[in-house]
Amino acid sequence: MKRWLFKKPDEKEISEHVSLIDHCKKSGDFVYFYSSRPQQPYWIAYFSSIVDEEILHRDILPPLHQTALTSLAEIKAALPIQNVQITSDCQTIENALLRGSVLIQFHEKDTACVLVRAPMIKARDVTIPEEEYSVVGPKEAFVESLTTNLNLIRSRLPISELQVKEYIIGSLSKTKVAVLYIEGITNDENVQTACQRLESLDYHQILDSSFISQLIEDNKNSIFPQFIDTERPDRVAGVLAEGSVVIMVDGSSHAIIGPISIMELFNAFEDYFVNWQMASAFRLIRVFAVAFSIMVTPVYVAVLTYHYQLIPKDLLVTLVSSRRNIPLPPILEAVILELTIELLREAGARLPTKVGQTIGIVGGIVIGTAAVDAGLTSNVLLILVALAALASFTTPVYRMGNTIRLLRFPFLLMADLWGLLGIAIAFLFLMTHLLKLTSLGRPYLEPIFPPNIRDLKDAFVRLPFSTQSKRPDFLQTKNPVRFPVKKRDKVKDIDE
Amino acid sequence: MLSFQRQLAKTAGQDAWMAVVLSGMIIHLMIWMIYSMLNKDKGDLISIHQQTFGKWPGNLLSTIYILFMLLQTITVLRAYIEIVQVWMFPVLKTWPLALVLLLIVYYVVSSGFRVVTGVCFLAVVVPSYLILTFFVPIEFSNFRNLLPVFDHSVTQMALSVKTASLSFSGFELLLFYYPFIKQPEKSQKWAHLGNLLTTLLYLLVVVVTLAFFDQEYLKRVIWPTLMMWKIIELPFVERFEIIGVTSWAIVMMPIICLMVWSASRGIKKMYKIKQRKSLVFLLFICFVICSLLSEREIIQQFNSWITNIGFFIFLYIPFLFVCYHIRFKLKGKGQ
Repeated sequence: MKRWLFKKPDEKEISEHVSLIDHCKKSGDFVYFYSSRPQQPYWIAYFSSIVDEEILHRDILPPLHQTALTSLAEIKAALPIQNVQITSDCQTIENALLRGSVLIQFHEKDTACVLVRAPMIKARDVTIPEEEYSVVGPKEAFVESLTTNLNLIRSRLPISELQVKEYIIGSLSKTKVAVLYIEGITNDENVQTACQRLESLDYHQILDSSFISQLIEDNKNSIFPQFIDTERPDRVAGVLAEGSVVIMVDGSSHAIIGPISIMELFNAFEDYFVNWQMASAFRLIRVFAVAFSIMVTPVYVAVLTYHYQLIPKDLLVTLVSSRRNIPLPPILEAVILELTIELLREAGARLPTKVGQTIGIVGGIVIGTAAVDAGLTSNVLLILVALAALASFTTPVYRMGNTIRLLRFPFLLMADLWGLLGIAIAFLFLMTHLLKLTSLGRPYLEPIFPPNIRDLKDAFVRLPFSTQSKRPDFLQTKNPVRFPVKKRDKVKDIDE
Repeated sequence: MLSFQRQLAKTAGQDAWMAVVLSGMIIHLMIWMIYSMLNKDKGDLISIHQQTFGKWPGNLLSTIYILFMLLQTITVLRAYIEIVQVWMFPVLKTWPLALVLLLIVYYVVSSGFRVVTGVCFLAVVVPSYLILTFFVPIEFSNFRNLLPVFDHSVTQMALSVKTASLSFSGFELLLFYYPFIKQPEKSQKWAHLGNLLTTLLYLLVVVVTLAFFDQEYLKRVIWPTLMMWKIIELPFVERFEIIGVTSWAIVMMPIICLMVWSASRGIKKMYKIKQRKSLVFLLFICFVICSLLSEREIIQQFNSWITNIGFFIFLYIPFLFVCYHIRFKLKGKGQ
């Protein structure tokens, strides 16, 4: 007992401590000074670049100067700051210093010290969403600070069941990663799968949530997004209430949602803000647009290379006359145009907005018209390719648009090889691939296969809220009931 | 399904549709037999064979059955490639197409049974628009062609039933994938329902074909369905049969995948060979034989050969049913 109470810090601990401070001193922004106060001198250390000096001067230093504080516990009591800890563990001290804490100790060789949190928080304000802009509905978007983002979600779900599990991932970046779910709704298996994958992650740097989504995907060789990333807090709150798992990363303005099924890639969150007839119509348009975008140029190539008998006489005249002066086979014509569009898109994405617009005009009007005039492409194909590019931008999930544009090229090659049969074969490959895919272990093609009538209510169409009394079957929620179904009122007779 | 009407009409003439109905009923009976065996055994064909005939003779029978399935796969694949060669690409060699199609089969089967069932489901749903195409020829049909009814002898009818029942083949694969069904006992009604649907579909096709073609002409048409598609005309599409042949690549996929899956599964169970290895081996055999069958006459001969063996399977299932139940009774008494 006596030995324990008066235990002197052993040599090893002291040397570790001193070497830590020495190590930090090498950095130019590390401050370490001695205050020769008459009552009780003390040492203070912090990184000036990440500590808020206003807190330091206003809240920490005055109490230290005014009263005679003789022990660390007294310092802790005297400071008007809530997050103060006393520790002698070197690892904790290092982490805290690097996260914006101020270290206070009495002697240079003491191992125990007080750590006061005074981090300087630089975060931008919550702004309106740009990728997932919607005309109606809330206009908040996530920012790079995890605390702010969690605040945005918590204020939409003020319930104690909303759980946040935090992990520190990345040997260099030490990024905070949070797994969000609602206890009692979300399937435990899904949460566990997500947590296990995060725990077994071993990567040096996590700069954005897309790093996480790439690292924990089920099939890393697939071009299909297996998670949805969103910048809308309302969407996150919505899917949490549905029973999904959400992963958020400090320093990233996008949350990852999983498990997902392919139909969710066609859902804009705006669909829930407009009435169900509109929403359903828009969704059907999007599905059609995607099919059109993938298929139209391959079909053009297939038909004009092999199956011109397929086209009725009148239409054939139009096609042939537009292609009369073109020296290239359809496949080259199509590939050149597709690549041009990709070039324009890539150039537009890399340039500042203002210049990007100019590029769009130059590309769209000048190159397009000139190519037709020069006899390099037919105007029919120009229209088709432009429409296909436009259609690929209708998908509300940005990553899906990229997938669609890339998917077109294998189809094009197969169309050139075997015409329509080649397209059918490419389609079979695609179908098998989609059947094979899973998202957090759940089937990717869900309401289509395994067929599920209940989930079809919110897939190709969105039926009214009153019909959606159950959560999606696909998420296997613990509590499938969203709200109790009311008995339908008796239908009033005419003029009653 | 693209050409079975011709074979039927050869023997039963305008009464061919009755053969379809009759064989549909026979298949119902067989599905019932298969379920009554499987529900007792809780296994698959291999364990039933082992139970009934002992380990080695049972395995021998299963091996023969698997070989037969392999031959059937080759027939389906080669028949399709032939259609492509005749209707779309006359100069296309057999082996590239066979290779690519078998690669898809490998991708499907190696992804597991879940994907195989998925392909079976989607390959029915996606090309289901083809059903609509059978209503178009009705406009040009003459339903008097179906008269007079009951104009054929029992032997002619029996022969016709024999050919018709072959186009139903595929249901017997239940003997392999039964253990993979979640609630196998409850699945029986779905099996019967599926069979009913198939019967109705065939009935529609046969009736429309009989009404559309003159009988004498029908006997000379090799692919009546494709001929019927020729008359379909949409504002933006002519020569619909090209689209039909293309869609058929999707339609014939499930049966090939299911058969190859069953065969490789059976080999795994009997000989403890890894399914991935046996799958590659089976597909390689398919590929080689498919590429070697080059001339029309040889393919025809191969087809009729398989057809005749195929008929034995239909006799074999009732035989197995009787054997299995006798064996079961004897065992019960022995204990």
